[in-house]
Amino acid sequence: MLMEKSVENGFIIDLSNVKNTSQLVFELSSIMEHPDVRGKRICLKLGSLDLKQSQLLSIKALIDSMEASIAFIDTISEQTEASAVSLGIMISKISSDAEADIKASDNFEEKMLKQESVIERTEGEITSGAKTEISLPNFPIETTEGIEDIYDEVSTEELSEVIPSENYDEHDFGALAASEGLLPSEEVSKYILLDTGNVLPEGVEENSDNTETMPTLYLHQTLRSGQTISYEGNVFIIGDAHPGSEIVAGGDITVWGILGGIAHAGSNGNVTSKVRALKLNAIQLRIAGLYARRNDTLNVPYVQKSNEFTPEEALIEDGKIVIYKKLRRD
Amino acid sequence: MTGRVIVITSGKGGVGKTTTSANIGTALAKSGHKVVLIDTDLGLRNLDLLLGLENRIVYTIVDVIEERCKLKQALVKDKKNPNLQLLAAAQTRDKTAVNAEQLKEICDILKEENDFVLVDCPAGIEQGFQNAVAGASEAIVVTTPEMSAIRDADRIIGLLNTKEEITSVKLLLNRVRPNLIKSNEMMSVDDVVGILEIPLVGIIPEDTGIITSTNKGEPIVNDENALAGKAYRNVAERILGEEVPFLDLDEPRGLMAKIKSVISKLKVKV
Repeated sequence: MLMEKSVENGFIIDLSNVKNTSQLVFELSSIMEHPDVRGKRICLKLGSLDLKQSQLLSIKALIDSMEASIAFIDTISEQTEASAVSLGIMISKISSDAEADIKASDNFEEKMLKQESVIERTEGEITSGAKTEISLPNFPIETTEGIEDIYDEVSTEELSEVIPSENYDEHDFGALAASEGLLPSEEVSKYILLDTGNVLPEGVEENSDNTETMPTLYLHQTLRSGQTISYEGNVFIIGDAHPGSEIVAGGDITVWGILGGIAHAGSNGNVTSKVRALKLNAIQLRIAGLYARRNDTLNVPYVQKSNEFTPEEALIEDGKIVIYKKLRRD
Repeated sequence: MTGRVIVITSGKGGVGKTTTSANIGTALAKSGHKVVLIDTDLGLRNLDLLLGLENRIVYTIVDVIEERCKLKQALVKDKKNPNLQLLAAAQTRDKTAVNAEQLKEICDILKEENDFVLVDCPAGIEQGFQNAVAGASEAIVVTTPEMSAIRDADRIIGLLNTKEEITSVKLLLNRVRPNLIKSNEMMSVDDVVGILEIPLVGIIPEDTGIITSTNKGEPIVNDENALAGKAYRNVAERILGEEVPFLDLDEPRGLMAKIKSVISKLKVKV
């Protein structure tokens, strides 16, 4: 009944024949006790079992406690689906082909690494109504709205929106910490680049001036909805920037707190500018001429305060906005 | 005597500014303080309805400003409590009929003879809001535990912080539903206070009694049994500087709920 497909770093646990929640927890904990499961990404096949949000949360906690994480859930129950969505867990279908594929693939991990760390531009992103598309290598995965034709045509290298699926925390929707050893760096793709092209105003040229030599505006205040800070140099704020606020800086933006509004660093075309915050939850990130929107799956405008935020830094790398979970030292 | 001028505002409409004004005003008056309520929602006046005073209004704030009557003539005394007076808004005019200086002048005169001047602010952040806050030195921001109301409250707090005359901004959380918070469907009081970061002056539970009280023109604070009424009376006491604990909204209400709770307690003992 319980099928485990060990593929480097991914597991499918088939619990679709389980009758009730207690049996599910029993079966799952017996599997999870296996030392091989540690650090793995679990694909849970739940069949028609109805799970409430709290039940799913406990299951997630159980998996988390074994240092593993849920990659996605395969379910046909609407309630389970709703619970998963509310917890930010991905819903997908494992097709029988995919299962075979996984078995065959021996460098699953490597491919996954490649995919998860990339944020590519999506053609027609804005007009397409921001549909969530999920891609994992070798997993012909459907979104709940059905398969996008695009996946048949595009090779895995070109797949665009990649949503990391691990390490959600109930109170910390924004934090998608890359799990240790899974991603090559601390890159997190919780933002999706908007296909606006380079939208620098006319007459503004891209430049790579050193932001360290720029003047810095130092503020010790909470930036509330509707308030705007616009400055030609760097902006440093001690306090939160609430949703609805806007910070525009010629250089870097650093928020010692939760950044929940819009942040535009390098507004004069400086591509070396960075946006840093203890908690990067900006609804939109703009650096020089590039715009990225927050992933729809993370659409939680207000983040609860915590003493355990890991600083995050957004910057341009290879023409994309990437986010590092730690401040890097070159 | 110099009274306190408190503006009751929210940004978003429909969160309960007018209900709050009417109830806090009535509660303060009941405790023996002289109170004037000013309705600044010109063109969309409601405060008189909530107090059941519509039929007594002869002159409005616009008549005072355009000098068709004296300020004293325009003040309407409450049916039950002579300590409470209303300065009604004009229904036939819009917000541009009054400016901030004129409203400040009226507040300054009224606070000389009253303990409290409560200004009921219209929704929005335009002229009406600017008028309403002009004479105030304190503000109560009313919000409900909803994203949109909180976002607007955040905006209003930002605007109030830029006004030097306003020295105190406090939060009143309205229409709280404990059972929805319990089931994680509504933001909790702590969540909202955590986001807005201003001191709390009151938590008012959702109460269907508010609807009937509005329709009757009888503020719910006059109903000794209503939970929302008690919550508003507590707010008034906190405004007067007393330390009143916030209501425990988890307490079972209604006869059946009480019986059940007693039975469950007995069971534990057995």
